[in-house]
Amino acid sequence: MISAIYDLALTTGANRVVRGCRIEHVCGNPDLGPDKDREYGMRIITTALQALTTEVSGPTLFDPQGASTETIHAS
Amino acid sequence: MRLELGTFPVRDARFGSATRWDDGILTIDRDVVLRAVHDDPLVATASLEIARPGESVRIWPVRDVVEPRVKVNGSGVVYPGWFGRSIETVGRGRTHRLAGVGVVEVSSVNWHDAGGDFVDEYIDMVGPWAEITPQSALINVCLVVEPDPALAVQTKNEVVHRATLAVSDTLAAAVRGLRPPELETFELTTAPATLPGVVYIQCVHSPQAMSHSEHTFCTGTYGLTRLTPPWLLHPNEILDGALSGPYRTLFATSWTVVNNPILLDLYRRHGRDLRFLGVIVFRTEWTTQIEKDLMAEQAAKLAQMLGAQGAMVTWDAGGNEYIEVVHTVRACERLGIKTVFLTSEDSPEGGAPSLLKPVPEADAIVTTGFFNTRYLELGLMPPVERVIGYGQKAAGRAVDATVVGAPQVDTAGAIPPPWRHDDHYGFTRLSSFAY
Repeated sequence: MISAIYDLALTTGANRVVRGCRIEHVCGNPDLGPDKDREYGMRIITTALQALTTEVSGPTLFDPQGASTETIHAS
Repeated sequence: MRLELGTFPVRDARFGSATRWDDGILTIDRDVVLRAVHDDPLVATASLEIARPGESVRIWPVRDVVEPRVKVNGSGVVYPGWFGRSIETVGRGRTHRLAGVGVVEVSSVNWHDAGGDFVDEYIDMVGPWAEITPQSALINVCLVVEPDPALAVQTKNEVVHRATLAVSDTLAAAVRGLRPPELETFELTTAPATLPGVVYIQCVHSPQAMSHSEHTFCTGTYGLTRLTPPWLLHPNEILDGALSGPYRTLFATSWTVVNNPILLDLYRRHGRDLRFLGVIVFRTEWTTQIEKDLMAEQAAKLAQMLGAQGAMVTWDAGGNEYIEVVHTVRACERLGIKTVFLTSEDSPEGGAPSLLKPVPEADAIVTTGFFNTRYLELGLMPPVERVIGYGQKAAGRAVDATVVGAPQVDTAGAIPPPWRHDDHYGFTRLSSFAY
């Protein structure tokens, strides 16, 4: 699941959560200009595809910016 | 900060040759009031009608209900900051109010033009919807107003609400120089340190993310509705209308905010059961996780700096805003501030939790029930003899108006209640049961 409010997605039990930008534009950022926006959007989508092929043991956050995974334990 | 609030109860209102209050009867010079409205050249049409409790009347659509108040002395003006009104800090001196009267803002102007998100509220003066709507017990002076159609939607919003405040000002001016039958003094006097310090965290929706409007709709702080970090208000400022404005649920209109039972109860128990420390006004609908969490952290920090041992949290919205609100509850609890959360509940369909995100720290919750009127099983509201406002609306929810060629229904007929009965401040006489 790609979500700007990723904490909610993790808490409600989504196993693979990709950090989106903002509620208004989850999969991109128009402030970056067309080229960088597309690049950023692609990074989000690629991260999501990678997430799908990654084994997880519980709700896990995938961050397209850091390209690292961060395990968040639902509180 | 000391505020004397003088109350002039109103038993009836009628049109007459001068605007005056006499022994509970409010006489309104309709021409003078409408002239005040037409002082604004951007107002195209305006009319004024009275609806009394028990009359077979429906008021549609309702954007706001304002209680007429006026500063007798002390700085500033009531309902400050809106569209050129003074922003001088209010809450000192004396204010007079007409109790039992509402000035109802009736207009076809929507809050923004993004589509699919209409103001769809109405007041019935009799019947099942009236029984659970606090404003139905008021004598409602209804301003049906339309702005110049050429204006942008934000300016239309401005014109319409300014017109409503012009009516409120004109009516309240009638009691400015009179001696009030009731007078109550509001002051946060020094209270014994043994009493628990309590802060009220009042979360109010910001339209900014949806409408890009900084000030034209929703409950404003001195007229500002944009997304801003938490504000600290003295409760007296709220009694003078520093937190007011039109809204999409009847439970967050200007009238409900100045008559908020939580605010008044906390105030009246100050020095007796608790020390009321102030109101943190928390604007909601931040649109990233980090912003939501930052605001929650900062609100809790403010509460701690004020010396709070307890906090009361309310909110007036739904959806994702729940996150910053419930994270505020959590942040307070983590700082050792015992926190009570007053909220309605989402629909229980599909086995989903009726609160968007369960948080273990939120362990003292007062529910006002499901906000979706479907679960109140009210059926259709019975037909009425007279409609104030508009005779037709899109069938079903007004959202249907976005469908080109949507069927229209007579607003005087049997129609469903507005979809949301969301009692943000605990007004209603509904009772809840657990099952």
